[in-house]
Amino acid sequence: MKTSSVTRRFSGKTTLIIGLTFLALQFVAIVFAPWIAPYSPENADPLNALQEPSVVHLFGTDVSGMDIFSRVIFATRINLLISVTAVAIAFAIGVPIGLAIGYYKGWISSLAMRVFDFIQSFPVFVLGMVLVSVMGQEIWNVAIVLAVLFTPVFARLIRAEVLSLRERPFIAAARCSGATDSTIMFQHILPNALTPAIVQISISIGMAILLTAGLSFVGAGVRMPTPEWGLMVSNGAQQMILGIWWVALFPGLAIVFSVLTFALLGDAAKQMFDPHSRSAS
Amino acid sequence: MTTANVPLLEVRDLCVGFADDTQAPALQDVSFSLKRGEILGIVGETGAGKSLLARAIIDMLPGEGRVISGDVLVNGQSTSSMTKQQRLGFRGGEVALIGTNAKALLDPVVKVGEQIARVLRAHRGIGKKEAWKESLRLFEQVGIVNPHRRAHAYPHELSGGMAQRVVIAMALIAQPKVLLADDATLGLDATIQLQVLDLLVAKGRELGLAVVLITHDLGMVANYCDRVGIMKSGRLLELETLRAFLTDGPKHPYSQELLDAARVRPLPMDREPSQTQEPAQPLLEVTDLVKTFHVEGFSEPVRAVDHVSLTIRKGETLALVGESGSGKTTTGQCLVRLLQSDSGSIRFDGTETLDLTDTQFRAVRRRMQMVFQEPYVALNPRWRVRDLIAEPLKLGDPLTRAEKDARVLELLDLVGIARTKANVYPHELTAGEQKRVGVARALAVRPDFVVFDEPTTALDIRVRAQIIDLVRDLQKRMGLSALFITHDLNSVRSLAHYVAVMRHGKIIEQGPTEEIFANPKHDYTRELLEAELPIEVRAEVRTCDLQTERQL
Repeated sequence: MKTSSVTRRFSGKTTLIIGLTFLALQFVAIVFAPWIAPYSPENADPLNALQEPSVVHLFGTDVSGMDIFSRVIFATRINLLISVTAVAIAFAIGVPIGLAIGYYKGWISSLAMRVFDFIQSFPVFVLGMVLVSVMGQEIWNVAIVLAVLFTPVFARLIRAEVLSLRERPFIAAARCSGATDSTIMFQHILPNALTPAIVQISISIGMAILLTAGLSFVGAGVRMPTPEWGLMVSNGAQQMILGIWWVALFPGLAIVFSVLTFALLGDAAKQMFDPHSRSAS
Repeated sequence: MTTANVPLLEVRDLCVGFADDTQAPALQDVSFSLKRGEILGIVGETGAGKSLLARAIIDMLPGEGRVISGDVLVNGQSTSSMTKQQRLGFRGGEVALIGTNAKALLDPVVKVGEQIARVLRAHRGIGKKEAWKESLRLFEQVGIVNPHRRAHAYPHELSGGMAQRVVIAMALIAQPKVLLADDATLGLDATIQLQVLDLLVAKGRELGLAVVLITHDLGMVANYCDRVGIMKSGRLLELETLRAFLTDGPKHPYSQELLDAARVRPLPMDREPSQTQEPAQPLLEVTDLVKTFHVEGFSEPVRAVDHVSLTIRKGETLALVGESGSGKTTTGQCLVRLLQSDSGSIRFDGTETLDLTDTQFRAVRRRMQMVFQEPYVALNPRWRVRDLIAEPLKLGDPLTRAEKDARVLELLDLVGIARTKANVYPHELTAGEQKRVGVARALAVRPDFVVFDEPTTALDIRVRAQIIDLVRDLQKRMGLSALFITHDLNSVRSLAHYVAVMRHGKIIEQGPTEEIFANPKHDYTRELLEAELPIEVRAEVRTCDLQTERQL
């Protein structure tokens, strides 16, 4: 019994440390990509196509002869840029919307909820393919598609919190103390409502990485020769049955690694915000 | 061994600690014994280890708690030497525990009659039909009227008192020898509490059980128990017969302090404000106030406040008393406009407030404040005490930062909180301090009128006495007018000039406090007053008289 509490505490901290370490590795890859990568990521070398992993080409080469290791490293930039931007936009738009529709009841709030229902009930890939094909296969368009997808997630989370918070006695007490609607919303409710949304940020980034890769895989994401993990998996998938495993495997592992990082950080954040472990600042 | 000499329950030098050995044991050297038909009251403040003691006796320590040393003997058998199989029969069989909030203890999706029948079948191995019949009989025994209908009810359809009766019936099924009631009547209305306790104690005496009543209410102990134990920080400070405790006085200074705090009361209000001066102008005049709520599933709206009229003059305090659901809090919320009233009139210092827009009402808010019921939930958990107290200041004239800080410190002094607490968060304060912060907030803009919503409930004995002192002091020093919403009749006497009794949304009786207390006209008022449990030996003598009468 004694050990169980010890392991629990230990694992909480470990999660955070592992998550941060993984994040740091990716950060290094983003900043120092040109120095780490031995080749240019978009440099095709047909003479050396489909080389097995070796000392010269750590992760081998793909069908055009591009160095997979270099591309995996450079793709960190694109993938994280898309995901972080998308989630940042979703958070920045979703949180105020959630706050407003939770605080004010009325037909606009109901309408907003139905719009969110519509967005969320639509198959993600169909929506992504439609939006990207209309707007064009650009990095920023992929980010916008993902932002549209994630906005309802944040808005709903905040709204749910606001709905319960607005009935709390301290809100009535604030009203008695002369607090205006905006004071109540931004100073009383918002700070108390943010925790689940903040935890959701990390989880959403992980999901966004997966979705970016997924969109590229079905051809709705960025285009060749941009180094992007999903696109690389997609290219390698064709060779997989021929026994050429390295083209798809390494970018696939990169996706797993990156998603895992943000999942771990999300877990750590959840534990950090757990009211039972909260103490004085 | 004959059962007569062996105590039913014996606790020997019991020490309980948690896995974390660095801290002091949660229970230290607790010893007492109980004979058949004896009732022991264990009294202590929050965190004294009362509930832990009950859990230790029934061998259900929470989390990582464990018995370090000592022993619990039930009917001469030690619980520590029991096998696993024996333990199963022991919990609920030999010893039964009745906790707070009976509704939470019942399965919400099963009819209560069925729940009782299940326990009956498990313990007595009888058939389905027979068990149902027996459960109806048990319902009758615990004073549930119309058991045929009640047995078909689901827990949420029962009132709190009714649910507690069902739990008591359930606890008695296995014919336990020891009954532990851990704050079993907490949160019930006074009249219901009385009924449940009457039942519990009558059953205990009738069946010859050893009963342990765990409570923080000395009045309850004085009226029902044979002996009293005072607990503090995991220790049983004092164990006395009730008579010795009340007549000779407690031996331990802490017990004395508790007793004094619980007795703080009949200091009748000096009626000076309205008598020395010429009859003061009415400050607040409420006429025919109505507030209805639409409840889903009912076509008729519920009248929470039904044509309520009351008047409060400058410097006067009116207490609005009544049980939960009587509409007293709703009335208070209508006054400060947390709820929109349906009809009627609220005149504050000559101005009709119901006609004002929200912006116009701000001027009234400055003069009319409210202290909220539950101290902790009425404070934003993410704000520091300093900011919480400063918040209402924006209702008044604009202040500079320095002026604001000065005012906050002034208010902290006024309500008796250390200035060093200005920068802490609400959860770092004790319940009493949280209540004080609530009071400080209400007083920040120097209002003329304050609504106190249940200022003394959910507080420990000593803290309650301190808050009463604080409010009395404020009334005297600031000439505050107040509406006092409460069901704690003890505090009414020491705080209010006038009393209005509310029931089902209507005021059924009002008048000067001492007059109402001395000579209540309405039956319901009398019932409320009788439900008050005085901490006097007289009460015990009275029950003894009753018994002797019966014997004659």
